[in-house]
Amino acid sequence: MASQIPHIVAFLFTTIIISFIIQTSPEQILQLWNSMQFTSLQILCFSFFIVYTLTVFLMKRPRTVYLVDFALFKTPQSMRVSFAGFMEHARLVLPTQPKSVHFQMRILERSGLGETTCLPPAIHYIPPTPNMALAREEAELVIFSCMDSLFQKTGIQPKDIDILILNCSLFSPTPSLTAMVVNKYKMRSNIKSFNLSGMGCSAGLISLDLANDLLQQHSSSNAVVISTEILTPNCYMGKERAMLLPNCLFRMGGAAILLSNRSSDRSRAKYRLSHVVRTHKGADDKSYRCVSQEEDSEGNVGIMLNIDLMRIAGESLKSNITTLGPLVLPASEQLRFVISLIRRKLFNPKIKPYIPDFKQAFDHFCIHAGGRAVIDELQKSLNLTAEQVEASRMTLHRFGNTSSSSLWYELSYIENKGRMKKGDRVWQIAFGSGFKCNSAVWKCNRTIKKPSDGAWADCIDKYPVYIPEIVKL
Amino acid sequence: MVSSTMEEGLIYNIKLSSIGPGNVTAPYSIFEPENMDLAMKLHYLRCIYYFGSKAFEGLTALVIKEPMFTWLNQFPVPCGRLRRSDPGRPYIKCNDCGVRFIEAKCDKTLEEWLEMKDDSHEKALVSGQIIGPELSFSPLVLIQLTKFQCGGTAVGLSWAHVLGDAFSAAEFMNQLGKTVADNGPGRPIALAQSLKSVSPNNQPRVVEDPLSIRRVGPVGDNWIKVSECNMNTFSFNISGTQLSHLQSKLSRNGAEFSPFEALSAVIWQCIAKIRGRGSSQKVATICEKSRKNEIEGTLSNSLNLSVVKADFPIEEATPSELATLLKTRALDEQKKINEIMDKEQGLSDFIVYGANLTFVNVEEGSFYEFEYRGQKPVSFSLRIDGVGEEGAILVLPGDKNVCTGRKVTAILPENKIEVFKDELKREGLLA
Repeated sequence: MASQIPHIVAFLFTTIIISFIIQTSPEQILQLWNSMQFTSLQILCFSFFIVYTLTVFLMKRPRTVYLVDFALFKTPQSMRVSFAGFMEHARLVLPTQPKSVHFQMRILERSGLGETTCLPPAIHYIPPTPNMALAREEAELVIFSCMDSLFQKTGIQPKDIDILILNCSLFSPTPSLTAMVVNKYKMRSNIKSFNLSGMGCSAGLISLDLANDLLQQHSSSNAVVISTEILTPNCYMGKERAMLLPNCLFRMGGAAILLSNRSSDRSRAKYRLSHVVRTHKGADDKSYRCVSQEEDSEGNVGIMLNIDLMRIAGESLKSNITTLGPLVLPASEQLRFVISLIRRKLFNPKIKPYIPDFKQAFDHFCIHAGGRAVIDELQKSLNLTAEQVEASRMTLHRFGNTSSSSLWYELSYIENKGRMKKGDRVWQIAFGSGFKCNSAVWKCNRTIKKPSDGAWADCIDKYPVYIPEIVKL
Repeated sequence: MVSSTMEEGLIYNIKLSSIGPGNVTAPYSIFEPENMDLAMKLHYLRCIYYFGSKAFEGLTALVIKEPMFTWLNQFPVPCGRLRRSDPGRPYIKCNDCGVRFIEAKCDKTLEEWLEMKDDSHEKALVSGQIIGPELSFSPLVLIQLTKFQCGGTAVGLSWAHVLGDAFSAAEFMNQLGKTVADNGPGRPIALAQSLKSVSPNNQPRVVEDPLSIRRVGPVGDNWIKVSECNMNTFSFNISGTQLSHLQSKLSRNGAEFSPFEALSAVIWQCIAKIRGRGSSQKVATICEKSRKNEIEGTLSNSLNLSVVKADFPIEEATPSELATLLKTRALDEQKKINEIMDKEQGLSDFIVYGANLTFVNVEEGSFYEFEYRGQKPVSFSLRIDGVGEEGAILVLPGDKNVCTGRKVTAILPENKIEVFKDELKREGLLA
């Protein structure tokens, strides 16, 4: 709460106090004090009051939440999907639907994906063989690999973890995936675990928000957030084009993040969390139905993407930045925005709305790599340069749309390029079904050296690559 | 694909997937097959390696596939797909599409399987797929892994002859064994060549068709010769003692014949006898391993193709005479084949195996060097699909049990198989 008091008010208040102190000489202050004739009881009560107010103030101050480190799932070469392989499989799986196959080819050509993205083993079969056992195998492979990497990077022991939050939208078995993690690593019996399912691609930031709230409640604690999407059960086997789109874009990926509010982690933490802003447009029917999991006319389950998707994404973004703006923008930008708003409302509604320059508020941008269209749209509406969306585009090329974990691959890209310096502010923004738009703002705590291992280590030197508008297959 | 219903009953739980190079091959890499490659394009090698239970024990499909991605990094060409350049000459686009991988199970034990008399059951263990009807979606290599009840495994390699000869195919598989054992040599493959347009041959010289190959009427994008009769396979083993007995029987005037020459001579006569008097089987083709020094380990069609022409009826000659003929009067056909292929710009379709009765010497093939986790194959068989009606005789290295002997596989029209067996019995080659 204290952080929300605009700096300008604090500045004015401090100025007034200091000017008062300067103007009055020490003798005048002493005279003032003697004339007040306080009794000792009054002085005591007054002191208690001061101490009490200070204590309340200090306790109600939000704890700083640090991101100690995070680990990504390194996609194995043996699960790679080449464009040619994808198209050949598509033809073999849908031999009687050349139009649907052709549609998939056109999507793939324009998708912005590269030749190194990965799908789980079940989807490599002709036809794909999604079943529960293989889905669990994929979950174990991705999640355990991320967790092992996180333990190794941070040195934390499984028994030290106080809070465990996992988000995986489309695979929610019993026992839950969080229970699977607790079982594998033999975590404590009083661990606070939460398994979020069904919340779409923006669920990573929702998990983060939950972790943040919990860490405000519990002092001296840490939280592990695991963001992933398990693809095995969700391969669409039908021919509806709107439902084939996710098949072309979604790929394997996962991330595990260690958060902490312990002051002992302050020196080694990479980032500190500044803000999380969540916007939910579900109250509007069109937004609500924009991305939905349905059965097609033949009974195949798939995710239907509505034609309005980009427009709804744009609107939810506007809502989100309307809330986020006042928190992060410098006063000058806020003033300009308010003036533009007043002019449009009172004088001429036809004046173009002033888009605040977010480049002044942030040094790095991580836009969820939902697809090329999403990144193009955001680049245009926020007026971002090619370098600012580079992390998003290159993540889409190297890993595909890995759903909620894509933001972490993008952040890792920036670190691997050696661009992350102390004090840099990062904006992570994700969209998801609902329709939701969530943002997180981080401040870099220490300049980050280029890592020698990790998901990007063996290929970072090849990037950035030029991604043509259409790749001829 | 396994098409016959009889074969379908032998294996079950068939799963298809693809494996490819783990690394991304440089974009726009292509490989241009040479003249010999295109001359052989209508043939397919179907190899089966039989392993005991120790080789693949306890391995899931995922674990078996993983090193294959590293292995295929060395072989982007078999993982590509065929296209046609503007004049129509086929080339391979190295687009990482991959090799087809087939998993299957069989209820029999390996022993029971190897004891089965009829060779046609082997069709169930290796894919019979051909290239076509669409070139760009036809895999060039298919690998089938069939697990037997006892834990033994059959590795079936289906190899398009356009990629290389049997020795190349053997080398391809041996590299897999080495990669699994972590001994992958990581040889650099020089293959990315820029596409050059094939200019028409300016010499209007009339070139006769070579004797060793036969033109077949345009097959378009379906790379198989439509034959009037079904070709069947029959294999038998010859022990070392039988072989040396045969060689000494044939040798005359101190002339020594190699096992291949001796066997070919005897079998040529058997086949001539079953074909009957007056038929024009006086020409035979011999395919042998090239003696040229080629770059170690590249995939290529570098067989020495030669023809022998007898001026006497075969069925009346003695095997010694035939053996001498095979040894001394073989005429190399390489140059003629190159000329005709150049002239036709690789657009015509030919068959080599079976154009005449073809004797293929693969006794030096390194098939038994394919070691998977330290285990060598207990048996190996090789068939060729797309063989012409004159038939082909393959002389392979012997099974583990008859390592000084040979295995002979005859590919003949199905109505000739039984009579052929009778003739062999008469010659004492078959029990």
